[in-house]
Amino acid sequence: MSDPELHWLLYGGAIGLIVIGAAGIVMGKHLFRIILALAIAEAGANLMLVVAGLRPDAVAPIITGGMIPEQMVDPVPQAMVLTAIVIGVGIQALVLSLAIRVYKAYGTLDMREIRLKMAADIDAEAGVDDEVSQEGPAGERPLELPDAVTSGGPGQ
Amino acid sequence: MNMITLIVALPLLAAFLLPISDRALGSVSRFVGPIVLLMNIILIMTLWQKSEGAPFALALGGFRPPLGISFYVDQLALLFALLVSILALMLWPYKADTNPRVFGLMLLLTGAASGMALSGDLFNIYVFFELLSVASFGLVASLRTGAAFAATTRYLIISGFGTVMALTGVALIYTQTGTLNLAHLATLAPQQLDNATGLTAFALILLGIGVKAELFPVNTWVPEVYATASRRVSALMAGLVSKLAVLVIVRLMVLIFPQPEAMQLMLALGVAGVLIGELSAWRARDFVRMLSFSSIGQLGLVFVAFSIPGEAGILAGLAVALHHLLVKPALFLLAERWGGSLGRLEGAGRRSPLAAGLFVLFALSLVGVPPLPGFWAKLLTIVGLLGQAAPLYWFAAAVVLVATVAEVNYLFRFGLTLFKREEQSAQVHKPHARIDLGTVSVMGVVLLTAMFLIAPLGERMQTIADQTTDRGLYISTVLGPVGGAR
Repeated sequence: MSDPELHWLLYGGAIGLIVIGAAGIVMGKHLFRIILALAIAEAGANLMLVVAGLRPDAVAPIITGGMIPEQMVDPVPQAMVLTAIVIGVGIQALVLSLAIRVYKAYGTLDMREIRLKMAADIDAEAGVDDEVSQEGPAGERPLELPDAVTSGGPGQ
Repeated sequence: MNMITLIVALPLLAAFLLPISDRALGSVSRFVGPIVLLMNIILIMTLWQKSEGAPFALALGGFRPPLGISFYVDQLALLFALLVSILALMLWPYKADTNPRVFGLMLLLTGAASGMALSGDLFNIYVFFELLSVASFGLVASLRTGAAFAATTRYLIISGFGTVMALTGVALIYTQTGTLNLAHLATLAPQQLDNATGLTAFALILLGIGVKAELFPVNTWVPEVYATASRRVSALMAGLVSKLAVLVIVRLMVLIFPQPEAMQLMLALGVAGVLIGELSAWRARDFVRMLSFSSIGQLGLVFVAFSIPGEAGILAGLAVALHHLLVKPALFLLAERWGGSLGRLEGAGRRSPLAAGLFVLFALSLVGVPPLPGFWAKLLTIVGLLGQAAPLYWFAAAVVLVATVAEVNYLFRFGLTLFKREEQSAQVHKPHARIDLGTVSVMGVVLLTAMFLIAPLGERMQTIADQTTDRGLYISTVLGPVGGAR
């Protein structure tokens, strides 16, 4: 495969991963799947950065034994990707721990249910009747969540 | 001038040491944060005096730009760094039962925010932005209720996808130019980024960073996060974090993407934000969510103002942003005791007349009643919008005026509720805590002082706007013949 083709393939792959991730986040219902979709989108963005510094016929930018290679891959994006990956892992760990807390509080990982229960909690705290919720979608009324108010206790 | 790095380094150091030292120090650690912030304020003030308004650049680690990472310190950056420290000090969680980890998060947020204001490197900005995000997630979740965790999770997912978009935009810029130093990019942008790829990169970064700035399509997190977080955190996020995201976008816009298409994209999103925010606030039936939606509308107005080309836009945007930075935190602090539906608050103003009076003052300024500073900010925006030829700008001016009517309606409806004669059903509200009321009073005094000093303030802001729009100055300061000024 010639190099320009490879480049386009990699770019296409990166953009494809981001699109898959975006679709997963927008259309996903299960919180864990949404988190996975976020991880996929992050991988796409990272791949994009790596490809930005890619050159044909180049080696990794590491000097071994005092020999300086003729052609090296641009090292700057690689350093940035390293940073981005570390940040990404940290964010994923954080969102997973939050997901555990949410599960403990609401007993579900379905995003729609979480959203409704959260809206009911906020309404209850504000003292607004949840009969005509600000947050609930127009087609979903009346909210059938008899235990929504009581189950929204503190996280632990 | 190397002292400028301390503004970022000190809060970060304190943030990471606080959770450890808390065991040993005990209650002493409560004072570490405010002391660090005070030191920051003094540092910035002395630096501002020393530099006499002239911008200077700093090459970190001794690598000269464009290879190294640089800080660019002009009046705009210093102003925002100063505001970060002052506002963080004002909104510090002073309550006695605060978890010490919250102090660490507050300091982390301050350090990251100052770094974002000062940094002159795109990737560095991205890293500080992520740090700021993580700190804000922690702060929002710090109340530890189920609703707070759920809201944080949803916020984190939107924000996480935002950073993916911003990172993709950064990568796109890198493929076109091979550099991420803002000054170097500014020299290359006219040839290499004035095309569809550059515009795509701008749109991606705008949407990515715009998550924090409550930009229109990515702001669904705003009402739920502000309603579930503590009021001080909401005030900090609505007042400060959003403005820093706007600051980054404005920097990019001035230096790298001065195309009219980029401005119009921002204008369109801003107009949508104004419309949706103000109309939702009009529909909201409790004070906190009314404020959240109103904050979306005001941030939309900030974007509208900044999208006016040239100096006039920077001046108008700065005025609207600074005004909102003062008013919205004050209103959120008042909401500390006025949570709950509007019906519950009937007559609350009669029991705490000072708080109600301050609310009326801030509401009047927010709407833009003449002698108050909010009027001048809105006037600058409307005049700037009407000075443009493109029909989209005229449409924006009309939308801003219509939104103001909605704003008047909901704010005054709330004000009238406060002063209603007490019914027998009226609930007893606890009076405002002294610290909250004191902070809000200080903000009110600042607002009134600004009203009397509007002419010198305007001149000051004009010089800042001049300096901000001067691309040549930025380039020559960072890359100039002398290199990085040490």
